[in-house]
Amino acid sequence: MNRLFTNAGKRKIDPGLLFLLPGFAGVLLFYLWPFLVSLWYAFTDNPIKGNFVGLANFIELLHNKPYLLGLKNTLMFIGMSVPLGMILSLAVAMLIHRTGRRKELFALVFLIPLVIPSGSMVFFWKALFLNDGYVNGVLVSLGLEGINWFETPMAMYVILLIFIWKNLGYNMVLFLAGLHNIPKEYYEAAAVDGSSGVLTFFHVTLPGLVPMLVLTAIMSVINSFKVFKEIYLITGSYPHESIYMLQHFMNNMFFSLNYQKLTTATCILVLLITVLVQTLFRFERRHDQ
Amino acid sequence: MNRRFFDAAVTATLVAMGVLFAAPLIVTLTNSFMPGNDIVAHYTTQFSVFDVIDGIKEKFISIPVIPSRITLSQYKDVLVSQPVFLMLLFNSLKITLPVVLGNLMVSILAAYGFSLWKWKHKEKVFMIYVIIMLMPLQAVLVPNYIVADQMGITGSYLAIILPGIFSPFGTFLMRQNMKSMPKEYLEAARVDGASPLYIFLHIVLPQMKSGIAALTMLVFIEYWNIVEQVIIFIKEYYKQPLSVFLSYLPSENVGLVFAASTIYMILPIWFLTLGQKDLEKGIEMSGMK
Repeated sequence: MNRLFTNAGKRKIDPGLLFLLPGFAGVLLFYLWPFLVSLWYAFTDNPIKGNFVGLANFIELLHNKPYLLGLKNTLMFIGMSVPLGMILSLAVAMLIHRTGRRKELFALVFLIPLVIPSGSMVFFWKALFLNDGYVNGVLVSLGLEGINWFETPMAMYVILLIFIWKNLGYNMVLFLAGLHNIPKEYYEAAAVDGSSGVLTFFHVTLPGLVPMLVLTAIMSVINSFKVFKEIYLITGSYPHESIYMLQHFMNNMFFSLNYQKLTTATCILVLLITVLVQTLFRFERRHDQ
Repeated sequence: MNRRFFDAAVTATLVAMGVLFAAPLIVTLTNSFMPGNDIVAHYTTQFSVFDVIDGIKEKFISIPVIPSRITLSQYKDVLVSQPVFLMLLFNSLKITLPVVLGNLMVSILAAYGFSLWKWKHKEKVFMIYVIIMLMPLQAVLVPNYIVADQMGITGSYLAIILPGIFSPFGTFLMRQNMKSMPKEYLEAARVDGASPLYIFLHIVLPQMKSGIAALTMLVFIEYWNIVEQVIIFIKEYYKQPLSVFLSYLPSENVGLVFAASTIYMILPIWFLTLGQKDLEKGIEMSGMK
């Protein structure tokens, strides 16, 4: 066996490849190859013996009402949850950063929602936000009217709340690491210059956090798709139209096994994410200069 | 003096937020010790004759934090009287354990392979891993389905387990972990003529305990909570893991939801308390480029 790895002799297998092989074969088989197949399906009209139809599937999908609704809601949710989540988790991270001693304990509290499975909390959320739920009870006792949380556009805000509760810990960990890496000398220099708290934040903290900001933005976007879990477990396959997400559309297409729509939707999503990640990377590179 | 006031305010804010964030967990935990009848009384809002007599027009769910009577009857029901729950818990294990173990093995080997590999284009291959890793689940589901369909495993757990084992995220994390290892050990061993396998087993592996812990936790948490794949692949309700089934429970049996939820979340929370630092390092490492 050792003779395979010696540097003498010309025909040898790079040992790295041997270690890599099982993993890479799996990635090829379960991710790369099927993605190429789905690309093929997206450009044909029938998965069994299709003819090449160019962009017809894409054009048809972009006129499909449920798809557009799912896409719109998903983008809206990302647009709201990412900035809000980042601001809140940065705030919490900065607060924890200041406490020093009991950092781990405080961090633990915010990490717990991350590890609790969504299913365990479904009943609690329902108990809070159903029409006859706790929150409405409080509102009524204050003389206000109860709100139909899950069947009006307010549903988006409930979902936003649940999502931020669950994912704040993740971004917080990243920001804590980022804050930790800003050299103390910068803060000391700012203090010597007589900089106030707010100014220091904008001129020392934020610039030092840019790589972390880009990273948390990317991770937040990717994580935001996970909100589907909560929505589905609480409201089922056909929720109110304000929280009908891309995944709801795709689920329903799965049931009718509509390969055309599924693969086309996937391709568009892959495209969007790739563009987003590239943009954010370019932003960071420009900042470095 | 100002400093101390400020610090106290920071701590107070954190404590308040912490309580808010921990509330769902605390409520679920304490309510799991409530007798079934009380649960029904608090969490369902059926009107009875007495309500009409009393002139009560609206009834709301109340969420007591401390039960008036403490009993283990919920747990007894869940674990003993209705063993369906245990079977479903076992389903969750049947999915999660193979993925965790398999992914760990594949990822560590592949990461080591990447470090050893001497090819000028190897980083481009690694980029493929990164791109796949950044795709939200929705973009990966369709390719997964296509493969599962071709392999004829669409109704079985394998359709979820196999892509999970080969998920590129694990390789990425392990490679990041390896990059941060001091190279001197590896160089010294190589000079001494040790084979790559020996180096892997006796030098690399022991240094990666923290990364391994982090990956284990991250993968476990993700698969203990899978929802999207289950909806698409697993149709029979007795084969469903708890991640999805728990949300169906209240409609049949409100009285044991809290105990069921608590039992289901014990494992992830226990892991978190064991390896909080490792988890945090894992999250940070998934960000380094």
